[in-house]
Amino acid sequence: MSAMLLNKEKWPDFVGRLTGKKLWAPQAGGDGMRFAPVAEGEVPALDYGNTRVPPKQAVFPQTETLFRFQVDGEKVEEPKLEEEAVLLGVRPCDARAMVIVDKLFSWDEDDPYYLKRRELVTLVGLACTEPGLNCFCTSVGGGPASTEGLDLVMIDLGENYLLEAITEKGQALLAETEDLLEEAKDDVAEQKEKIINESEQKIKRSVNTEDIPGGLPGLWEDPLWQRVSASCLGCGTCTFLCPTCHCFDIQDETEGFDSRRCRSWDSCMFAEYTLHTSGHNPRPSRRERTRNRINHKYNYYVDKFDVIACVGCGRCINLCPVNIDIVDILKQVEEAL
Amino acid sequence: MDLEKLRETAAEVAAREDVKYLIGWKKGTYGYRVAPGFIEDADGAAELIFSPLCTANLATYLTLVEKLPLPRGEEPDDRKTALMVKGCDSRAVAQLLVEKGIDRENVVVIGCPCPGMVDPELLAEKYPETEEPAEVKWTDDGFIVIRDGEETSVSRDELLAEKCRLCRYPNPVISDIMLGEPVETWEPAEDEGVNEVENKDVDEREAYWEEQFSNCVRCYSCRNVCPLCYCQDCILDRLNPTWVNRSVNFSENTAFNIARAFHLAGRCIECGECERVCPANIPLGKLNRKLAREVRDKYGFEPGLDPEAEPFQASYKPDDPEDFIL
Repeated sequence: MSAMLLNKEKWPDFVGRLTGKKLWAPQAGGDGMRFAPVAEGEVPALDYGNTRVPPKQAVFPQTETLFRFQVDGEKVEEPKLEEEAVLLGVRPCDARAMVIVDKLFSWDEDDPYYLKRRELVTLVGLACTEPGLNCFCTSVGGGPASTEGLDLVMIDLGENYLLEAITEKGQALLAETEDLLEEAKDDVAEQKEKIINESEQKIKRSVNTEDIPGGLPGLWEDPLWQRVSASCLGCGTCTFLCPTCHCFDIQDETEGFDSRRCRSWDSCMFAEYTLHTSGHNPRPSRRERTRNRINHKYNYYVDKFDVIACVGCGRCINLCPVNIDIVDILKQVEEAL
Repeated sequence: MDLEKLRETAAEVAAREDVKYLIGWKKGTYGYRVAPGFIEDADGAAELIFSPLCTANLATYLTLVEKLPLPRGEEPDDRKTALMVKGCDSRAVAQLLVEKGIDRENVVVIGCPCPGMVDPELLAEKYPETEEPAEVKWTDDGFIVIRDGEETSVSRDELLAEKCRLCRYPNPVISDIMLGEPVETWEPAEDEGVNEVENKDVDEREAYWEEQFSNCVRCYSCRNVCPLCYCQDCILDRLNPTWVNRSVNFSENTAFNIARAFHLAGRCIECGECERVCPANIPLGKLNRKLAREVRDKYGFEPGLDPEAEPFQASYKPDDPEDFIL
């Protein structure tokens, strides 16, 4: 039982079966589509492009309390991470991003908070049939129907979703909902291939990334960095909305006698990110910070983990207030090689 | 506006020896996007445009520029910055002069009378963005959207940005060079957005802003894009003492957004950039326009009109109204 059909009319029943676990799905809010916990009895719709904020927040919350303590006491409390979660409708790029970020969080020291959440989460993906204008996943090793990182993938066949289990967690989910599903017929493979091919054709933006990781070190002082960063505002939009950006800052925060140690997302585009206590800043301007953002994704990460830390979701392009466009930057890098 | 004239003037200014670079608008990399262009020589001016898509207020770059320590023996580049401004943008320049945030002799202001910008999100919603760069032009009574070689006429009401509906100063209030004739001003619309929030009772208003601020991701794009948020040492970045915690939650997000709004009272020139750039779609314009309304109604003061004016928050007169102070 690895490929099954779910009639769309049975979608609410399928969602209803997932009770007992924390359910996340894309939902419309004042800020556009975002992954948010689904309220009991609600049925999320899946007809959306990409969420503004990536689902990374389900495994790597923007702010996470590591432990609580009292200034004048000895009590230290650690929140327990036990809740199982299911993420519904994850796009292939965002699932791939989690696999990429896993490498960092399990590298020299295991990060217990992140890894525990990852262990407790089941990713139910939805293959893309209508890629966005700035999607370029196919240039960075992904694709609209990539299953990397997913436990179960759903493909929209019109009347039905085709459900394919990728991992044991996915198998288990299919087994739990077996009575709602039908066995897929033989012609479904052909239908699926056609849909995926069509979807790939719809991806308009592309860049040849083959020589970029090897070429970036040689462009350290290239004038292109000044050019592409001149208009940068130094805000955190590109990094906070990036599914692979994973930097954080740890602070102790106090309210009366209650204190907590928490970590929050940080951004290498902020001036204070690399600011030393002495006042020296090794990345003193937006030129160095922009250069770092590209090098981290396309050079250092490849060097260390053998994978580009960009999944081509296009969010940083869509939402940059001043049209700093990573595909355009990569093309300029390629030209400068 | 005559594009040839704009580029010709820009080329002359960019070529001037006392000008470091000229900041204007150029076509972006795709769709309706317009990017800020830093033009260093006469040739670069050929890239410049002025269209209903040039919503960005470039005045922020006057104070965003990073002054790095110079290598020994190297002289600082003290040349002027030339800047293209619409009516609202010019008010930011005037307000910066009031606050002595910039020196008048360090800027060359090129004024662009502005018939009103389109709302970029509304535009993309009605006429989806294309892979190729598209254009929008002004007509006598609206706009023409040109994408993939196809032209569509659209009425002014359909696409005009909210900040432009409310605009009282479409013509630059300050300039060294003015491009073209001033545009005819229009009757500003009633600010329904602010009215709506004002008319809520306290609980409803709290619930409204709670929902909005809960979406904030604290990327600080509103602060960074704001031409009048230029403190070298922002309270939001302070750690000792920490005025606003790094934790992203309703309480801290509210502290951040309210602090910013209050610091802008009597200073915000209503260019709407904060709201445009917010990736969480928080209606920051309503917040800032509410404070602008208070200052206008209670003190009869509007910022960014007269570079010689006294700064509102830093001046005191014995007869300042105080009947509304509890």
